[in-house]
Order: sequence, then structure tokens, then C-alpha cells
Amino acid sequence: MPFILLRRHAPFLLSLIGGLAIWEIAGRMTSAAFMVPFSVTLVRLWQLVVHGNFIAQFLESAELFITGFVLALAVGAPLGMLLARVRAVRVGIEPYLMLIYATPMVALIPFILSMMGFGFAPKVLVVFLFGVFPVIYNTVEGARSIKPELIEVARSFRSGEWPLWREVMLPYTLPYLMTGVRQAIGRSLVGMIAAEFFLSSTGLGQLIMGASQDFDTAGVFATIFVIGLIGVGLMRLGLEIERRFARWRQ
Amino acid sequence: MTSSAINAPADAAPEPPPLSDRLRQTVLPRLVTGLILLLMWEIAVRLLAPPFVARPSSVVAIAPKVLTDPKFLAATGSTLLAVAEGLVISLILGTLTGLAIGRSRIAEKALLQHVNFFYAMPMIVILPLFSLWFGYSAATRIATIIFASIFAIVMNVADGARAVPGEYLEVARSFRAQRLRMLFEIVLPSSMPYLLAGVRLAGGRALIGAVVSEFFLSIGGLGYYILYNSRSYHHSEAFVGVLLLAAFGVGFEVLVGWCTRRFMPWYRRGAN
Repeated sequence: MPFILLRRHAPFLLSLIGGLAIWEIAGRMTSAAFMVPFSVTLVRLWQLVVHGNFIAQFLESAELFITGFVLALAVGAPLGMLLARVRAVRVGIEPYLMLIYATPMVALIPFILSMMGFGFAPKVLVVFLFGVFPVIYNTVEGARSIKPELIEVARSFRSGEWPLWREVMLPYTLPYLMTGVRQAIGRSLVGMIAAEFFLSSTGLGQLIMGASQDFDTAGVFATIFVIGLIGVGLMRLGLEIERRFARWRQ
Repeated sequence: MTSSAINAPADAAPEPPPLSDRLRQTVLPRLVTGLILLLMWEIAVRLLAPPFVARPSSVVAIAPKVLTDPKFLAATGSTLLAVAEGLVISLILGTLTGLAIGRSRIAEKALLQHVNFFYAMPMIVILPLFSLWFGYSAATRIATIIFASIFAIVMNVADGARAVPGEYLEVARSFRAQRLRMLFEIVLPSSMPYLLAGVRLAGGRALIGAVVSEFFLSIGGLGYYILYNSRSYHHSEAFVGVLLLAAFGVGFEVLVGWCTRRFMPWYRRGAN
């Protein structure tokens, strides 16, 4: 069994080892200020975890991300469904949602900074803003996909508003909502880093900034590496969530 | 917009409704919603926020001055030029890499997961590293734009190259076509819709990359214009910049969508 597993994952492992080897060699051939090899990055990461405040900073970032993301979901999903339920409102709001959806949210950070200053709340707002529009946008998209006949049938069986939501609206919009959740996870992560870079500096963002200002290239690499891993992990999670609900979609 | 006819209320005819109905059913609600949103914003800012905060009336009042300001135009030009340069580089390198990953098992095995890693990484974390490498300069901005946009193109082109119908390649092979010609004359054109979907994504990400790097590096451009003016409490001026960014974002999406419909009418929207 382990042998079969090994064989199945051999290309993955080989490519992983290959990539890390290239990193290692490139790091050894260039100056340490420019790039550090993988081994040095790992050692530095270990130092940061054991002697530095890596764990504390990580948890601080996680708190920011989770607060903003949960708020985005809690506001975005119901709001999206409400907007979608009333046809005139949905048609009316669609172009503006698209406009906001296509606007680079980062451009709003300086406004948030000068209005709300430093602190936890403005940063949560940034993460929230990055995450909420994919959720709303996709929920509205989902409600658009509901066939009017379904609602008609429900109506002709004298369905009330609540059963209509439970039996038609929710099951049909949920897969789309999950696409929104996946996108929101990715965007909120960008929002988290952007907030930590440009608002009060905390968490992993501060670790990178601090390391780069100290010309601690190894520290920069170590933190970027961890954030990359978090990104991959969250993206997997998002895809998994989306896939789980995709079966409902016709 | 086309599909809104599908969701028209039950009493509507299945054929596309006449123009007057369309006006009543889509344009009117949109205008009304827009007005309500602007009004809510105006009132909220007047009541709750300090006077320097941007509101619709102040933005409209200042817009002509900003839009004719040579400094603003220079900043916009500088950002757009950087985005265009970065996108072109991403497009060329990304398409080549994507074709390789999509058509060669070895390239796929060797590269795909690394591309995936960088694609999933929130692109802006690379900024401090790039600023160490290239200094606080326009080169860092270009590098960030490329980093932000290239992986979206690689992923999409790879998907497209993988989805090329096998018969096309078989026919080409039976005519003894060279591999390189097959790649550029069959695989590439056939993955065009995927490429355009990638370009659409990449455009948005490139714009974000440009703005963020200008924030970070304090180099001249639309992003820096927004940062500078909002720091000095000229929110209305800065907001004109945000609106312009939004316009570029939407404009790019519309342009790519139009290209898809114009040159690939068989490719239906929403399939990707």
C-alpha cells in the first residue's frame, strides 16, 4: 500500500524536490542579500518560530482574516439573497455590483486610513470589503439562475415565503454562494496582507515589512513561504467547499 | 444582460421583449437604484463624516479640474503604460508556459504545482522582496504587475491547451505536421477562449499590482496620486482616481468580453 501511494505521488514529490533544489542552488549561487537557499530559509523560519514572535504574529493575522471573512459571509450571503429575491432590486443593483466587483479594492485603503486611522477596526473593514463583494455578486448570480417556473410552481401550490426560501431559493443559490466563498477566501487573504502593509502594521505583513527593512532576506523568504503555503491550503479548502456543493448545480 | 430575459416574470413572452419593455424593466430600475445609492452616499457623508470626505456632489464638482490636470494625466499614463507593458510580457511568457504545461506531460508534472503555489499566493506579499531586488523603482512595479498577472494566464492557457479536441491533432499528425506548427497553428488558436478568460483575470490583477506597488514604493502613478491626495485630505480628488481605476477595470472586462463575442461567437459566455 505505501508503495502504491509512493508511486502515485512520485511525480509530485519529484517536482517538489526539483523545485526546492533549484531554489537551493540559485540561493547558494547568488548573494545572501538577494536570495537565500531553501535550507537557510527553513533555519530562519525555525529561529523565528522558536525565538521570535512568529506564532503570535501568525495568530494576529489569523484573527484579522477570520473576523473580516466571517463578517463578509454573514453580511454578504443574506444581503445577496435579499437583493436577488426582489427582481426589480436585483436588476437595478446588478451593474453597480459589477462595477464595484471590478474596482481594485486596494485603492480604497488610503481613504480608510485617513478616516479611521490605525487600529483593528479599519483593518477588519479592509478584509471585509475584499471578501464581501464576491459573496454578494455570486449569490445574486445564483438567484438569477433559478428558473422562474420553479417559483411559479411553488406559488401555484400556495407556498408561503419561508418554504419558498427553504425549498427553492436556498438550494439553488447555495452552490453559487460557495463559488463566492472560494473567491472571498482568496481575496480576503490579499486584503489581510494589504491591511497589514498599509494600515497599522501587524501580523505576518509586519514580519515581512520588518525583515525587508532590516535587509533580513532570509526572514522575508521564510514569511513569504509560509504565506504561500497558507494561500495554497486555503485555495484547496475553497475548491473543496465549492466542489462539495457543485453537485447541486445542474 | 442577455440572460435577464430568461428570468423575466412569467407573464413575459419568451421572445426578446420590445425596446420599450426593456427600458421599463432594466434601464429604469438601474437608473433609480443608481440615484438612490448616490443619494444615500451624499446624505450619509453630509450627516456623519467630516467635510473632507468625498461625496458625489464634491467629486462631480472637482472632476473636471482633476481630469484636465496635467499631473493627473501624467500619473494615469504612467500607470497604464506600466500595466500594458507588464501585461504584454505576462501574455507572451504566460502563453508559452501554459502551452508547454498543457501539451507536455513532463512540463505539467514539473511545473504545474509550482505555478499553482504562486497563483494561490496573495500576490502583494512579493512586494517587499521585489523592492529588495529592484529597489524603489518603476522596475519593481513592472515586476509586481507581471507576477500578479502571469499565473492567471498560465493556468488558463494550460487548461485550454489540454482541452484541444484530439481529432484536430490527429488530422495534423496524419498530414505529418511539425510539432511546433501544430502548437501554434492548432493548439493556440483552439485555446483562445481560455486565453481571453485568463487575460480578463490577469488585467484585474495587473491593475491591483500596479496600484499596490505605487502605494508601497511611492513612485508616480495613479495609485500614488490616490494615496497622496487622500493623505492630504483631498478625498474628492483622490476619488476621481478611484473612479478612473474602476472605469479601467470595467472597460478592460468589457473589451475582453467584446473580443470573445466578436472573434469567437461560438464560445458561449459563462462556460469558464
